[in-house]
Amino acid sequence: MASLREKIAQGLKTGPKFLKEFREFDNLVKAIGECKSKAEEDRIITQELELLKQRLSDPKLDRSRGKEYMIRLIYCEMLGHDASFSYVKALQFASDPNIHTKKAAYLALTQFLDCNNQLVLLLVNTLLSDMKSDNYLIVCTALVATTKLIGADLVNAVYPVVVERLRHPKEHVRKKAVLALHWFASLDPRRDGPLAGVELDKHFRTMLCDKDPSVMSAALCALHDCIKADPRPYKNLIPSFTSILKQVSEHRLPKSYDYHRFPAPFIQIKLLKILAALGAGDRASSENMAAVLHQALRRANTSHTIGSAIIYECVRTITTIYPNPALLAAAAESISAFLRSPSHNLRYVGIDALAGITALNPAAAAEHQVAVLDCLEDPDDTLKLKTLELLYKMTKANNIQVIVDKMMGYLATCPDEHIRRDIVRKVSDLAERYAPSPSWFVSTISEVFRLGGEHVDDGAAHRLTALIAEQDAELHGSAVEAYLALLDGEGGAGAGGQQAGGPRKKLPETILLVICWVLGEYGHLARRPPAAVLSRLLGVLTAHKSATDRVRATLLSALTKLAAHTGGAAGPVGTALLQPHSSGGSSPGSDAAAFVHACANSQNLDLQQRAHELQALLGCPPSLLAAALPADAARQSFSAAELAEVAALPFLDSMVERALAAGAAPYLTPEARGKATELQAKGLRFEAYEPAPFAVPLSGASTSYGTAAAADARSGPSSSGPSGSAASTYSSAAPAEPQLVLKGAGGRRSL
Amino acid sequence: MVNKQGQTRLAKYFAEFLTTDERRALEGEVVRKCLSRTDKQCSFYEHRQYKIVYRRYASLFFMIGVDDDENELAVLEFIHCFVEVLDKHFGQVCELDIMNEPEMVHYILDEMLLNGQIVDTNKANILEPVQLLEQVTT
Repeated sequence: MASLREKIAQGLKTGPKFLKEFREFDNLVKAIGECKSKAEEDRIITQELELLKQRLSDPKLDRSRGKEYMIRLIYCEMLGHDASFSYVKALQFASDPNIHTKKAAYLALTQFLDCNNQLVLLLVNTLLSDMKSDNYLIVCTALVATTKLIGADLVNAVYPVVVERLRHPKEHVRKKAVLALHWFASLDPRRDGPLAGVELDKHFRTMLCDKDPSVMSAALCALHDCIKADPRPYKNLIPSFTSILKQVSEHRLPKSYDYHRFPAPFIQIKLLKILAALGAGDRASSENMAAVLHQALRRANTSHTIGSAIIYECVRTITTIYPNPALLAAAAESISAFLRSPSHNLRYVGIDALAGITALNPAAAAEHQVAVLDCLEDPDDTLKLKTLELLYKMTKANNIQVIVDKMMGYLATCPDEHIRRDIVRKVSDLAERYAPSPSWFVSTISEVFRLGGEHVDDGAAHRLTALIAEQDAELHGSAVEAYLALLDGEGGAGAGGQQAGGPRKKLPETILLVICWVLGEYGHLARRPPAAVLSRLLGVLTAHKSATDRVRATLLSALTKLAAHTGGAAGPVGTALLQPHSSGGSSPGSDAAAFVHACANSQNLDLQQRAHELQALLGCPPSLLAAALPADAARQSFSAAELAEVAALPFLDSMVERALAAGAAPYLTPEARGKATELQAKGLRFEAYEPAPFAVPLSGASTSYGTAAAADARSGPSSSGPSGSAASTYSSAAPAEPQLVLKGAGGRRSL
Repeated sequence: MVNKQGQTRLAKYFAEFLTTDERRALEGEVVRKCLSRTDKQCSFYEHRQYKIVYRRYASLFFMIGVDDDENELAVLEFIHCFVEVLDKHFGQVCELDIMNEPEMVHYILDEMLLNGQIVDTNKANILEPVQLLEQVTT
């Protein structure tokens, strides 16, 4: 800390204020470190920000303390407080000749801003001049700032200078220039924006052959991204990559690149990833790589974690490229070693690698069954999740039930939303592919909906209902019983308060929709009497006070169908639904009727329509009802042509013709309608409005005020019909009283 | 970098730009989860769409968030490499050093990580510009 002592010695010469100011940052950090509550921390930081605001806006600002101020600002923002007042000041400091201030300012800017921020525009000139500086430290700093702050719109301003820097004598500069280009490439991945026609990968290939290994390593990072996007143009680089990997693993790089006696492990791992991307699915390329992969695998050992990291990456590469038996055998051995190790990290890695190899060689997983089961039971969540992923890959028709059970068990207890979504997706996928029987499928998917319904999309619900529709009556009966039981469980827990099983979670909407549909279609197959089914359905409403309109709509349709299938208007359900609204009492029948009436008057058009349909259909003779809602018709599917035919509504044609003949206006499509009104409403009007017919002329200015006001009030809200007519009727009522016109108009203007 | 009480010592972001509030929220979640993990568990876990790899050194936790296809063991070792570099620069680095000279830690990290990629782990290469900077008088 010699420089610190020197600093203090120098500073003390400037006067007594120095020590107090010098310790300001230290005191700040210490104070934050010692404070016991968030409120106290907030208070200290707000004070600090106030102080900094004062100092920075002071024209007599001490520029030599610029670096310190920048650091304090970074610190405050890191702790979550906004310091945006200082951004412009930071921009100014970035052009300061003192290198410490400059670097600190650039650091602050990269922490505060991003490439979409408008302020970056002000920085471009400074960046350009810094990139051409003689001091390579400054060039490096500018290049680093470029990778964070330059966006697609500013790329072309900086691009030529950056390319220049690729030939800088200092390897640090070249390294950063390559990565700046890498960043530019990611801004415009398909080269159709600002970088159209630019051959970035030519630069990367040249830098790959740079004599300094760190620049080569930077080029690897850039090339990796290019290769991930499209491997084909880079297959001719495979010999270069394999030879580099060979040399690196043979310790041919300078000793300083060693890490714990492993030669440049991170470079090796990068190369392995690149080779994996290049060799995938390509037999010829994979054969070129085989030798070097063997070598890399052999030379790494598990004495240190980094060795295991290299082995893991090798195994991943081997399982990604075209299968090579010798390599796969070597990989399997390494995996066994991982799974046997006591370290959690290595077992995690082993399971991950096993998942990769299972696709190619299912027997491998069977060998390690015991280890896998251990990992599944492990209290560590991460390991459990990874094992579930492995099981997902291993699922076949014969073990799907067990695996799905395990996954559902996890789903029931896991709180993390992201993971739940993942599991729901996996289980639905597996169930659709390997379900042993439709009834198992139905029960599993229903369970999925129940536990994770909020993550399921509508398509899945539709597919489930379509599947149920195709099955026979036995499945329908069992589905109905199952869903009724679900509703029972919910309703029972709600009504009975605390039960032994504890409170049940509310059923998510998706399953509610499915349940309503199924009960509507097949409720007549239930073992309990229809009235009970009806009351259960209505129980849904009471249990879910915040049920959306979709649920209500589905419920209405379900009630209609249930009534139709259980004897029409005369059956128990039908009579319940058609009871007059006024009857009081709390029998389930009146609840149903009340519900239907409420929907018939609801704002939602869909609900209204369905409620009216229900009442109308139930009022029809039984034969019509049976034709409209036949039992078990859900399995009937219509072809597209039939649907189109129906959609044209041919049976109404005669009615339309009669109306047209009687002088009704023909139908205007919304586009045609829109054009007519558009022409009126677009743009400013330059002609005066017609004078208001009702305003009584008064003397002087008040006349124009009155007329203008009345005219405005009339023609202004012309688009909203009712209010416009109300305004005009109001003004037409007023003409007898001239004073009132003015006042009334004035009042309306202020509305 | 976070200490045992959950106070942030250093934070650096590479992927999408998050506002100050979003960063604070994300850091809070990650730190809480991390501090509650035991030694018997893996050094990595999943959080939202990332994986968090962490390592504890005395009172400081180092946490790196990576995406799914990253080699977790390599990231773990990168953390260690970073700590070794800091050690070499500060000489027996401790939390106080990081608190007092956070800009140096940032500069060192800038030499090793760019665009979210591991660029260089060669200690000589990394420390050369940093040491040069220190020699320039303020």
